[in-house]
Amino acid sequence: MHEVSLVQGLMKQVREIAQDHQAHRVTCIRLSIGPFSGVVLDSFSFAFEVLKRDDELFSQSRLVIKTPAPVLKCPHCGHEVEVQGVVEGEMELFGTFSRAKCPSCDMYGLAPFGGDDILLLQVEME
Amino acid sequence: MCEKCGCQTGMGTKPKVIDVNKSLFEANEKIGEQNRHHVERMGAVAINMISSPGAGKTTLLEATADALKDSVTFGVIEGDIETEKDAQRIRAKGIPAVQLTTGGACHLDASLVHHGIHELEHIVPGGRLDIIFIENVGNLVCPAAFYLGEHKRIVMVSVPEGSDKPAKYPRAFIGSDLFVISKADLLPYFDFSVEEAISEARRLNPSIDVLIISPKSGQGMDKWLDYLSGILK
Repeated sequence: MHEVSLVQGLMKQVREIAQDHQAHRVTCIRLSIGPFSGVVLDSFSFAFEVLKRDDELFSQSRLVIKTPAPVLKCPHCGHEVEVQGVVEGEMELFGTFSRAKCPSCDMYGLAPFGGDDILLLQVEME
Repeated sequence: MCEKCGCQTGMGTKPKVIDVNKSLFEANEKIGEQNRHHVERMGAVAINMISSPGAGKTTLLEATADALKDSVTFGVIEGDIETEKDAQRIRAKGIPAVQLTTGGACHLDASLVHHGIHELEHIVPGGRLDIIFIENVGNLVCPAAFYLGEHKRIVMVSVPEGSDKPAKYPRAFIGSDLFVISKADLLPYFDFSVEEAISEARRLNPSIDVLIISPKSGQGMDKWLDYLSGILK
Protein backbone atom coordinates (compact mmCIF):
# COMPACT_ATOMS: atom_id res chain seq x y z
CA MET A 1 0.00 0.00 0.00
CA HIS A 2 1.03 3.65 -0.16
CA GLU A 3 1.34 4.37 3.56
CA VAL A 4 3.58 7.41 3.06
CA SER A 5 1.08 9.25 0.90
CA LEU A 6 -1.74 8.36 3.31
CA VAL A 7 0.29 9.85 6.18
CA GLN A 8 0.99 12.96 4.08
CA GLY A 9 -2.75 13.32 3.49
CA LEU A 10 -3.37 12.90 7.21
CA MET A 11 -0.79 15.57 8.10
CA LYS A 12 -2.32 17.96 5.58
CA GLN A 13 -5.77 17.46 7.09
CA VAL A 14 -4.50 17.89 10.66
CA ARG A 15 -2.47 20.97 9.68
CA GLU A 16 -5.63 22.64 8.42
CA ILE A 17 -7.42 21.84 11.69
CA ALA A 18 -4.47 23.20 13.70
CA GLN A 19 -4.50 26.41 11.64
CA ASP A 20 -8.24 26.82 12.18
CA HIS A 21 -7.66 26.59 15.94
CA GLN A 22 -4.45 28.64 15.93
CA ALA A 23 -2.54 25.76 17.51
CA HIS A 24 1.23 25.66 17.20
CA ARG A 25 1.76 22.09 18.26
CA VAL A 26 -0.17 18.87 17.72
CA THR A 27 0.30 16.53 20.66
CA CYS A 28 -1.86 13.56 19.77
CA ILE A 29 -3.66 12.22 16.71
CA ARG A 30 -6.24 9.46 17.18
CA LEU A 31 -7.14 7.27 14.22
CA SER A 32 -9.21 4.25 13.48
CA ILE A 33 -7.81 2.02 10.73
CA GLY A 34 -10.18 -0.63 9.40
CA PRO A 35 -8.95 -4.24 9.30
CA PHE A 36 -9.68 -4.44 5.56
CA SER A 37 -8.23 -1.04 4.62
CA GLY A 38 -5.07 -2.68 3.29
CA VAL A 39 -2.93 -0.42 5.49
CA VAL A 40 0.14 -2.01 7.09
CA LEU A 41 0.14 -0.46 10.57
CA ASP A 42 3.92 -0.69 11.08
CA SER A 43 4.58 1.06 7.77
CA PHE A 44 2.00 3.72 8.58
CA SER A 45 3.52 4.47 12.00
CA PHE A 46 7.04 4.40 10.56
CA ALA A 47 6.08 6.88 7.82
CA PHE A 48 4.64 9.19 10.46
CA GLU A 49 7.77 8.97 12.62
CA VAL A 50 9.93 9.87 9.62
CA LEU A 51 7.73 12.66 8.27
CA LYS A 52 7.15 14.35 11.64
CA ARG A 53 10.87 14.83 12.36
CA ASP A 54 11.39 17.97 10.33
CA ASP A 55 7.98 19.41 11.02
CA GLU A 56 7.59 21.73 13.99
CA LEU A 57 3.83 21.23 14.20
CA PHE A 58 4.14 17.44 14.47
CA SER A 59 7.59 16.89 16.00
CA GLN A 60 6.06 16.00 19.38
CA SER A 61 2.90 14.30 18.13
CA ARG A 62 1.85 10.89 19.28
CA LEU A 63 -0.13 8.62 16.99
CA VAL A 64 -2.81 6.48 18.65
CA ILE A 65 -4.31 3.91 16.29
CA LYS A 66 -7.45 1.97 17.06
CA THR A 67 -8.11 -1.16 14.98
CA PRO A 68 -11.74 -2.27 15.06
CA ALA A 69 -12.37 -6.01 14.97
CA PRO A 70 -13.03 -7.43 11.49
CA VAL A 71 -16.66 -8.11 10.68
CA LEU A 72 -17.55 -11.00 8.40
CA LYS A 73 -20.80 -11.56 6.61
CA CYS A 74 -22.18 -14.85 5.40
CA PRO A 75 -23.00 -14.61 1.66
CA HIS A 76 -25.65 -17.32 2.09
CA CYS A 77 -27.77 -16.14 5.06
CA GLY A 78 -26.48 -12.60 5.68
CA HIS A 79 -25.41 -13.33 9.25
CA GLU A 80 -22.71 -10.93 10.54
CA VAL A 81 -19.93 -12.08 12.87
CA GLU A 82 -17.36 -9.94 14.64
CA VAL A 83 -14.00 -11.69 14.81
CA GLN A 84 -12.26 -11.03 18.10
CA GLY A 85 -8.59 -11.32 18.86
CA VAL A 86 -7.26 -10.71 15.34
CA VAL A 87 -5.17 -7.61 14.86
CA GLU A 88 -3.20 -7.57 11.64
CA GLY A 89 -2.29 -9.51 8.51
CA GLU A 90 -5.01 -8.86 5.96
CA MET A 91 -4.11 -11.53 3.44
CA GLU A 92 -3.91 -14.15 6.14
CA LEU A 93 -7.30 -13.03 7.46
CA PHE A 94 -9.01 -13.39 4.11
CA GLY A 95 -7.56 -16.83 3.55
CA THR A 96 -8.83 -17.93 6.94
CA PHE A 97 -12.25 -16.49 6.40
CA SER A 98 -12.91 -18.27 3.14
CA ARG A 99 -12.64 -21.54 5.06
CA ALA A 100 -14.67 -20.35 8.05
CA LYS A 101 -18.09 -21.77 8.74
CA CYS A 102 -21.08 -19.52 9.35
CA PRO A 103 -22.26 -20.00 12.95
CA SER A 104 -25.83 -19.37 11.83
CA CYS A 105 -26.35 -21.53 8.73
CA ASP A 106 -23.22 -23.77 8.77
CA MET A 107 -22.26 -22.86 5.18
CA TYR A 108 -18.58 -22.16 4.38
CA GLY A 109 -17.06 -18.99 2.92
CA LEU A 110 -17.56 -15.92 5.11
CA ALA A 111 -16.71 -12.65 3.35
CA PRO A 112 -15.27 -9.43 4.78
CA PHE A 113 -17.83 -6.74 5.51
CA GLY A 114 -16.95 -3.02 5.75
CA GLY A 115 -13.81 -2.17 7.73
CA ASP A 116 -12.04 -0.58 4.75
CA ASP A 117 -11.93 3.03 5.95
CA ILE A 118 -9.34 5.14 7.76
CA LEU A 119 -10.92 7.63 10.14
CA LEU A 120 -9.31 10.62 11.78
CA LEU A 121 -11.09 10.54 15.13
CA GLN A 122 -9.55 13.23 17.27
CA VAL A 123 -6.73 15.75 17.39
CA GLU A 124 -5.15 17.15 20.54
CA MET A 125 -3.17 20.35 20.17
CA GLU A 126 -1.76 23.31 22.01
CA MET B 1 -1.66 32.55 28.15
CA CYS B 2 0.56 30.73 30.64
CA GLU B 3 -1.48 29.55 33.58
CA LYS B 4 1.43 29.65 36.02
CA CYS B 5 2.62 33.23 35.68
CA GLY B 6 0.20 34.93 33.32
CA CYS B 7 2.86 35.59 30.64
CA GLN B 8 1.89 35.53 26.98
CA THR B 9 4.33 32.85 25.87
CA GLY B 10 1.67 30.23 25.42
CA MET B 11 3.63 27.79 27.56
CA GLY B 12 1.48 25.53 29.63
CA THR B 13 -1.69 26.30 27.70
CA LYS B 14 -4.37 23.70 28.02
CA PRO B 15 -4.46 21.29 25.11
CA LYS B 16 -7.43 21.63 22.81
CA VAL B 17 -9.16 18.39 21.94
CA ILE B 18 -11.01 18.44 18.65
CA ASP B 19 -13.27 15.58 17.60
CA VAL B 20 -12.99 15.17 13.87
CA ASN B 21 -14.42 11.77 12.84
CA LYS B 22 -13.59 12.21 9.18
CA SER B 23 -12.35 9.67 6.70
CA LEU B 24 -8.88 10.19 5.27
CA PHE B 25 -10.50 9.45 1.93
CA GLU B 26 -13.13 12.17 2.35
CA ALA B 27 -11.30 14.83 0.33
CA ASN B 28 -10.78 12.30 -2.48
CA GLU B 29 -14.44 11.20 -2.39
CA LYS B 30 -15.61 14.82 -2.69
CA ILE B 31 -13.49 15.43 -5.79
CA GLY B 32 -14.70 12.06 -7.08
CA GLU B 33 -18.31 13.24 -6.83
CA GLN B 34 -17.40 16.42 -8.74
CA ASN B 35 -15.76 14.26 -11.42
CA ARG B 36 -18.92 12.18 -11.71
CA HIS B 37 -21.05 15.28 -12.23
CA HIS B 38 -18.57 16.65 -14.75
CA VAL B 39 -18.66 13.37 -16.71
CA GLU B 40 -22.48 13.44 -16.66
CA ARG B 41 -22.52 17.02 -17.97
CA MET B 42 -20.48 15.71 -20.91
CA GLY B 43 -23.27 13.19 -21.52
CA ALA B 44 -20.99 10.30 -20.56
CA VAL B 45 -20.57 7.47 -18.09
CA ALA B 46 -17.15 6.78 -16.58
CA ILE B 47 -15.66 3.30 -16.21
CA ASN B 48 -12.68 2.72 -13.92
CA MET B 49 -10.57 -0.26 -15.06
CA ILE B 50 -8.38 -1.94 -12.45
CA SER B 51 -5.94 -4.82 -13.03
CA SER B 52 -2.34 -5.93 -12.64
CA PRO B 53 0.14 -4.59 -15.21
CA GLY B 54 -0.20 -6.48 -18.48
CA ALA B 55 -3.65 -8.01 -17.89
CA GLY B 56 -4.85 -6.57 -21.18
CA LYS B 57 -6.73 -3.36 -20.37
CA THR B 58 -5.30 -1.41 -23.29
CA THR B 59 -5.73 -4.35 -25.67
CA LEU B 60 -9.40 -4.60 -24.68
CA LEU B 61 -9.84 -0.88 -25.32
CA GLU B 62 -8.17 -1.20 -28.74
CA ALA B 63 -10.56 -4.01 -29.65
CA THR B 64 -13.48 -1.99 -28.29
CA ALA B 65 -12.45 0.94 -30.48
CA ASP B 66 -12.49 -1.30 -33.56
CA ALA B 67 -15.94 -2.62 -32.68
CA LEU B 68 -17.65 0.60 -31.62
CA LYS B 69 -15.92 3.25 -33.70
CA ASP B 70 -19.04 4.11 -35.69
CA SER B 71 -21.71 3.67 -33.02
CA VAL B 72 -20.39 4.93 -29.68
CA THR B 73 -18.11 7.87 -28.92
CA PHE B 74 -15.60 7.25 -26.22
CA GLY B 75 -12.44 8.70 -24.77
CA VAL B 76 -9.75 7.22 -22.58
CA ILE B 77 -7.83 8.55 -19.60
CA GLU B 78 -4.67 6.51 -19.24
CA GLY B 79 -2.92 6.20 -15.91
CA ASP B 80 0.68 5.06 -15.86
CA ILE B 81 3.74 5.72 -13.79
CA GLU B 82 5.70 6.76 -16.87
CA THR B 83 5.40 7.12 -20.69
CA GLU B 84 2.69 8.05 -23.21
CA LYS B 85 2.76 4.54 -24.71
CA ASP B 86 -0.79 3.50 -23.83
CA ALA B 87 -2.34 6.81 -24.92
CA GLN B 88 -0.47 6.50 -28.22
CA ARG B 89 -1.90 3.02 -28.78
CA ILE B 90 -5.43 4.33 -28.17
CA ARG B 91 -4.92 7.42 -30.38
CA ALA B 92 -3.68 5.15 -33.18
CA LYS B 93 -7.22 3.72 -33.17
CA GLY B 94 -8.67 7.18 -33.69
CA ILE B 95 -9.87 7.49 -30.09
CA PRO B 96 -9.12 10.62 -28.04
CA ALA B 97 -6.82 9.77 -25.16
CA VAL B 98 -5.21 11.68 -22.32
CA GLN B 99 -2.17 10.27 -20.58
CA LEU B 100 -1.78 10.88 -16.86
CA THR B 101 1.70 10.00 -15.62
CA THR B 102 1.79 9.68 -11.86
CA GLY B 103 5.58 9.82 -11.66
CA GLY B 104 5.76 6.92 -9.23
CA ALA B 105 2.39 6.90 -7.49
CA CYS B 106 0.81 3.45 -7.55
CA HIS B 107 -2.79 4.55 -8.25
CA LEU B 108 -4.90 7.31 -9.77
CA ASP B 109 -6.74 9.59 -7.38
CA ALA B 110 -9.78 11.77 -8.02
CA SER B 111 -7.73 14.94 -8.27
CA LEU B 112 -5.51 13.57 -11.06
CA VAL B 113 -8.56 12.30 -12.92
CA HIS B 114 -10.18 15.74 -12.54
CA HIS B 115 -7.37 17.18 -14.66
CA GLY B 116 -7.68 14.27 -17.08
CA ILE B 117 -11.40 14.91 -17.63
CA HIS B 118 -10.79 18.60 -18.37
CA GLU B 119 -8.06 17.74 -20.83
CA LEU B 120 -10.23 15.14 -22.52
CA GLU B 121 -13.19 17.53 -22.75
CA HIS B 122 -10.88 20.02 -24.44
CA ILE B 123 -9.74 17.65 -27.20
CA VAL B 124 -13.14 16.08 -27.95
CA PRO B 125 -15.30 17.86 -30.54
CA GLY B 126 -18.17 19.57 -28.72
CA GLY B 127 -16.85 18.22 -25.41
CA ARG B 128 -19.37 15.34 -25.48
CA LEU B 129 -18.82 11.60 -25.22
CA ASP B 130 -20.80 8.44 -24.46
CA ILE B 131 -18.14 6.65 -22.37
CA ILE B 132 -14.96 7.70 -20.61
CA PHE B 133 -12.71 4.76 -19.79
CA ILE B 134 -10.24 5.45 -17.00
CA GLU B 135 -7.42 2.93 -17.28
CA ASN B 136 -5.90 2.87 -13.81
CA VAL B 137 -2.24 2.24 -13.00
CA GLY B 138 -1.57 -1.51 -13.23
CA ASN B 139 -1.95 -2.60 -9.60
CA LEU B 140 -4.59 -4.72 -7.86
CA VAL B 141 -4.01 -3.20 -4.41
CA CYS B 142 -4.01 0.59 -4.10
CA PRO B 143 -6.39 1.70 -6.90
CA ALA B 144 -9.18 -0.15 -5.07
CA ALA B 145 -9.13 2.44 -2.26
CA PHE B 146 -9.66 5.48 -4.48
CA TYR B 147 -13.05 6.45 -5.90
CA LEU B 148 -12.51 8.45 -9.07
CA GLY B 149 -16.13 9.39 -9.79
CA GLU B 150 -16.75 6.31 -11.94
CA HIS B 151 -20.21 4.91 -12.64
CA LYS B 152 -18.85 1.39 -13.04
CA ARG B 153 -15.71 -0.26 -11.77
CA ILE B 154 -14.20 -3.19 -13.63
CA VAL B 155 -11.55 -5.52 -12.27
CA MET B 156 -9.65 -7.63 -14.79
CA VAL B 157 -7.49 -10.72 -14.31
CA SER B 158 -5.72 -12.44 -17.19
CA VAL B 159 -5.44 -16.22 -17.38
CA PRO B 160 -1.63 -16.39 -16.90
CA GLU B 161 -1.97 -14.53 -13.56
CA GLY B 162 -3.85 -17.41 -11.97
CA SER B 163 -7.32 -17.99 -10.58
CA ASP B 164 -6.28 -17.22 -6.98
CA LYS B 165 -6.24 -13.47 -7.61
CA PRO B 166 -9.72 -12.69 -6.20
CA ALA B 167 -8.81 -14.44 -2.93
CA LYS B 168 -5.44 -12.69 -2.79
CA TYR B 169 -6.60 -9.17 -3.67
CA PRO B 170 -10.09 -9.08 -2.14
CA ARG B 171 -10.67 -5.35 -1.98
CA ALA B 172 -10.41 -4.90 -5.75
CA PHE B 173 -13.25 -7.41 -6.12
CA ILE B 174 -15.41 -6.21 -3.25
CA GLY B 175 -15.64 -2.75 -4.81
CA SER B 176 -16.13 -3.73 -8.47
CA ASP B 177 -19.24 -4.16 -10.61
CA LEU B 178 -17.73 -6.43 -13.26
CA PHE B 179 -15.00 -9.08 -13.15
CA VAL B 180 -13.38 -9.65 -16.54
CA ILE B 181 -11.28 -12.77 -17.08
CA SER B 182 -9.06 -11.87 -20.03
CA LYS B 183 -6.75 -13.79 -22.40
CA ALA B 184 -9.28 -16.65 -22.38
CA ASP B 185 -7.57 -18.04 -25.51
CA LEU B 186 -4.76 -19.15 -23.14
CA LEU B 187 -7.02 -21.28 -20.90
CA PRO B 188 -5.84 -24.58 -22.50
CA TYR B 189 -2.23 -23.77 -21.58
CA PHE B 190 -2.57 -22.64 -17.96
CA ASP B 191 -3.91 -24.18 -14.76
CA PHE B 192 -6.48 -21.43 -14.40
CA SER B 193 -9.69 -22.58 -12.74
CA VAL B 194 -12.52 -20.42 -14.03
CA GLU B 195 -14.72 -21.95 -11.35
CA GLU B 196 -12.33 -20.99 -8.52
CA ALA B 197 -11.92 -17.44 -9.84
CA ILE B 198 -15.67 -16.88 -10.13
CA SER B 199 -16.64 -18.53 -6.83
CA GLU B 200 -14.00 -16.56 -4.88
CA ALA B 201 -15.05 -13.30 -6.56
CA ARG B 202 -18.72 -13.99 -5.78
CA ARG B 203 -17.94 -14.92 -2.19
CA LEU B 204 -16.39 -11.48 -1.75
CA ASN B 205 -19.03 -9.72 -3.80
CA PRO B 206 -22.17 -11.77 -4.52
CA SER B 207 -23.53 -9.25 -7.05
CA ILE B 208 -20.42 -8.97 -9.25
CA ASP B 209 -20.97 -9.70 -12.97
CA VAL B 210 -18.45 -11.92 -14.75
CA LEU B 211 -17.26 -11.96 -18.38
CA ILE B 212 -14.72 -14.33 -19.93
CA ILE B 213 -13.11 -12.70 -22.95
CA SER B 214 -10.27 -12.74 -25.41
CA PRO B 215 -9.86 -9.71 -27.65
CA LYS B 216 -7.36 -11.82 -29.62
CA SER B 217 -9.70 -14.68 -30.53
CA GLY B 218 -12.86 -12.63 -30.22
CA GLN B 219 -14.30 -14.90 -27.51
CA GLY B 220 -16.82 -13.11 -25.31
CA MET B 221 -16.43 -9.79 -27.12
CA ASP B 222 -20.13 -9.76 -28.04
CA LYS B 223 -21.01 -10.05 -24.34
CA TRP B 224 -18.57 -7.25 -23.48
CA LEU B 225 -20.17 -4.98 -26.08
CA ASP B 226 -23.63 -5.93 -24.74
CA TYR B 227 -22.47 -5.02 -21.26
CA LEU B 228 -21.35 -1.59 -22.48
CA SER B 229 -24.59 -0.92 -24.34
CA GLY B 230 -26.45 -1.98 -21.17
CA ILE B 231 -24.62 0.75 -19.25
CA LEU B 232 -25.50 3.34 -21.88
CA LYS B 233 -29.23 2.63 -21.79
